Amino acid sequence: MISLGIRLALAGGREALARLVVIACAVAAGVGLLLGMLAAINGVHSQDNRYSWLNSAHSTDTPRSGVDPLWWRLSGDAYQGERIGRVDVAATGTNSPVPPGIPRLPAPGEYYASPALARLLADLPADQLADRYPGHLVGTIGSTALPGPDSLVIVVGRTPAEVKAADGSHEITSITTTPSTDCDDCPVGPKGSSVILILSVTAGALVFPVLILVGMATRLSAARREYRFAAMRLVGATPRQVSVIATAEAALAAAAGVAIGFAVFPPIRLALVRMDFTGTPFFLSDLSLNLWDVLLVVLGVPVAAAVAAGIALARVRVSPLGVARRVTPPPPRAWRLLPMLLGVAELAFFIGRRPNTSAGQSMAFTPGMVLILGGLVYAGPWLTMVGARLMVGRSNDPAVLIAGRRLADDPKAGFRSVGGLVLALCVTTGSVAIITAITAERGLPEIYTAGAGAAVDHTVLGSYLTGWGDDGRPTGAEKPLPASVTTQLRAIPGVAGVTVIHADPLGTPDPTEHQGPVGAARQGGLASCEQLAGTPLFHTCAAGAQTATTAADFDGFGVDIGSNWPRQWPTSSVPAAQLDGLPVLDVVVGTTGSAATVERVRTLLEGTYPDRAMAPWTLSEYRTQAQGQLSSFQRLANTVTLASLVVAGCSLAVGVAGGLSERRRPFSLLRLTGVQLGVLRRTVLLESAMPLLVVSGVAIGMGFLAAELFLKAQLGYSVRSPGAMYCVMVVGGLAASLGVITSTLPLLRRITGPEAARND
Amino acid sequence: MTGIVLEARGLELSFGPTPALRGADLAVEAGEILAIMGPSGSGKSTLLHCLAGILTPDAGEIEFAGRRLDTMKEAQRSELRRDRFGFVFQFGQLVPELTAEENVALPLLLGGRKRAAALAEARSWFGRLGLDGLEARRSGELSGGQAQRVALARAMVTRPDVIFADEPTGALDSLTGEQVMDLLVSTAREHGTTVVVVTHEPRVAACADREVTVRDGRVTTAFMERMAS
Repeated sequence: MISLGIRLALAGGREALARLVVIACAVAAGVGLLLGMLAAINGVHSQDNRYSWLNSAHSTDTPRSGVDPLWWRLSGDAYQGERIGRVDVAATGTNSPVPPGIPRLPAPGEYYASPALARLLADLPADQLADRYPGHLVGTIGSTALPGPDSLVIVVGRTPAEVKAADGSHEITSITTTPSTDCDDCPVGPKGSSVILILSVTAGALVFPVLILVGMATRLSAARREYRFAAMRLVGATPRQVSVIATAEAALAAAAGVAIGFAVFPPIRLALVRMDFTGTPFFLSDLSLNLWDVLLVVLGVPVAAAVAAGIALARVRVSPLGVARRVTPPPPRAWRLLPMLLGVAELAFFIGRRPNTSAGQSMAFTPGMVLILGGLVYAGPWLTMVGARLMVGRSNDPAVLIAGRRLADDPKAGFRSVGGLVLALCVTTGSVAIITAITAERGLPEIYTAGAGAAVDHTVLGSYLTGWGDDGRPTGAEKPLPASVTTQLRAIPGVAGVTVIHADPLGTPDPTEHQGPVGAARQGGLASCEQLAGTPLFHTCAAGAQTATTAADFDGFGVDIGSNWPRQWPTSSVPAAQLDGLPVLDVVVGTTGSAATVERVRTLLEGTYPDRAMAPWTLSEYRTQAQGQLSSFQRLANTVTLASLVVAGCSLAVGVAGGLSERRRPFSLLRLTGVQLGVLRRTVLLESAMPLLVVSGVAIGMGFLAAELFLKAQLGYSVRSPGAMYCVMVVGGLAASLGVITSTLPLLRRITGPEAARND
Repeated sequence: MTGIVLEARGLELSFGPTPALRGADLAVEAGEILAIMGPSGSGKSTLLHCLAGILTPDAGEIEFAGRRLDTMKEAQRSELRRDRFGFVFQFGQLVPELTAEENVALPLLLGGRKRAAALAEARSWFGRLGLDGLEARRSGELSGGQAQRVALARAMVTRPDVIFADEPTGALDSLTGEQVMDLLVSTAREHGTTVVVVTHEPRVAACADREVTVRDGRVTTAFMERMAS
């Protein structure tokens, strides 16, 4: 029977061939994307493993005996927003553990750098980068120790005394291989589980529209196939034999699709290399497939396609006399809205009741989202029926009457061809609304826009404050900044001003902390009014004042964190002449934002205050890092949206063209009886456009509602206007869909000629 | 096979609220050629479909070669249609994707016969039915008469006990229809096959050994018809 099914699939004429090609292409698209997602998941795992050695000081590995401990200090540095992982090491004997990727531990005065960092060190003037690292380069770090090909990592050799004295140093006896996902306290790594969850959901989101397309394609020329199956049933084929033949046809197409899918995987893999949704691009070799992945796709996809084909044909019971007598199916009821409404209620329930763990949050929000998406598909036929009845109303237009009656009689069939698009619109709307709101909440307030924002963004902050003691005193303050350094800073081309924030000997309360925590008032900082005038963005003093009490913590510059800074700092009674001798909390350097300026300032500050846990940084770098993953997910969401829309558009085209082909005879007879081609065209257009527009409206509304409920529950945010880009996407998507429908209309003239009306 | 091969007793079948058969009784002798006549909508095709195991009656019994057909499962009835029955309908019984010889071989393939053997057996019928040279053609490339002869070959290829023919000449011109009917009758007689043919054409009915009429879902004989009139 299987061979007969394959024979029929291959010899079934143009329509069967078209069906075969469409299914194969749909499956190929799905397989390519699925393989890409599986490779990305493997890539995240591999990258997580590559990061592991950097967490050696935080692992829970049992200390090894008989090993000379290694002094170890991990710190973060930066170059143009790119993180540089710096590890200072000092061996206490010849038997100290050696990190991966280097042949031996660097001696004091030596360092190993990753190839990307080594190139930068060679290319840039020393005062922009190399001066931060004591000693000279003795080799490059091998790829086994690098999270990605462009990673900036350096292992610096120091003396045990130097490392021991630095903030955040540890003694270790082994290099850990535990990935960050399995290590709660590890500071470095993508914490792959959340990324993998998102990738898994993405893979599912991609496969769903593909299966819809497979189902749609399976129903192409359904009447002809049903005719053929009936003929077979007449001469004794059992229902099971017919089912085997139909499944063999679908599985054949799916197998061809799997082969093509594997062929398109290499270019998809190349594209994934640059899509750094973990914040670091992948090594190409990490984006690989294991045997289980290959087996899953090779066996699973044809089975899934065969099941989708089976579901598409399940409604048709083929008897030896043809398809079982068709009766008008009972109209869908309003309770089809129930799953969707349950999804809304489920999301609303968690407003103010957000679970604390990310696993709990995932468990809380996923069912609601699934209910809304699944509920939308389930409610689609009911919405189509209501729309059709409203459309027919008292219309005198025969096209409206024919299209409306047909949709009202079988709204499931009417909705089927637009279901994929509607789903894609709902997902797009929800994701765009969520990402827009998050971006808006974390963006610059209006006060800093229009030019000033850039100046804030490019201000370099050396922040040495580590917190406040129980008595409210700032902790972590550095030694006074030498006057020579201030002069050097000012002499760097592109530096606009330097303001040093000192610890206040009078312990004046921080003027920005009036909404702060209960307990001893946190003390503020102290700054020279002359210096503040050089960086006016961070507010000024009262007229005639020499010194002012400022925020102790310039982290965020009063923009991202605590945007309630006063417009004028309160005057302090500490004389300006006393400031130079006071400990330093922050050094604020305004720059023009040029790479050379920022890096020179950073290098000078790092040289002045070495061995700090955090390197000086700019607000734009902070934003780049904070939003890096968000941007990556935005790119991923865009990819998913685009792929879903394309696949859904294909489903629509296949559905409309298939529907036209199926109704060749009745349309031809209508033409013979004098119905104009224009009327038939309007009928076809209305039959697809009406459900598309009606259910799309509901889908967009549900997308916004789901986003609002999620944002309220998870982040306390509200949906913002999604912007022009979204409107362009939605209007463009709908226009393209209508274009797809319109593009099938010329087919109408060709297939409804008088010859099509003849009896077979 | 001698005696009664197929018997229906008190068949009733409705399609929704519309009754098609209302207590139809019929017995068919082995080797007999029986014509079922009747006006449109009288239930003659429905009776044939019930006798062939295509439709299951709401009430009544059908017996074929001593076995109850009406209580059989679908798979058993499919098997019976494949191995013991043959069909020639007005149109629409050929699979368009298959060649003529593959169409003839189809019941054998469905029964598990090897492809080469099934095709060889199928080809042996082409000469007998005047279809030489048409083996590789598809149904769309055959004339109406040729398609009906291919259907007849397919009906005969399993050497069935009964051939059911529903308006076999309904879509053909009178000359071609006559040729097809002659072939059907002569082939059936040659092989001792029982034929149940539904027709409204007296010319076709004249080829039969016996003629019954279906009226309002019940079977009457020609004699009773004449008495009634």
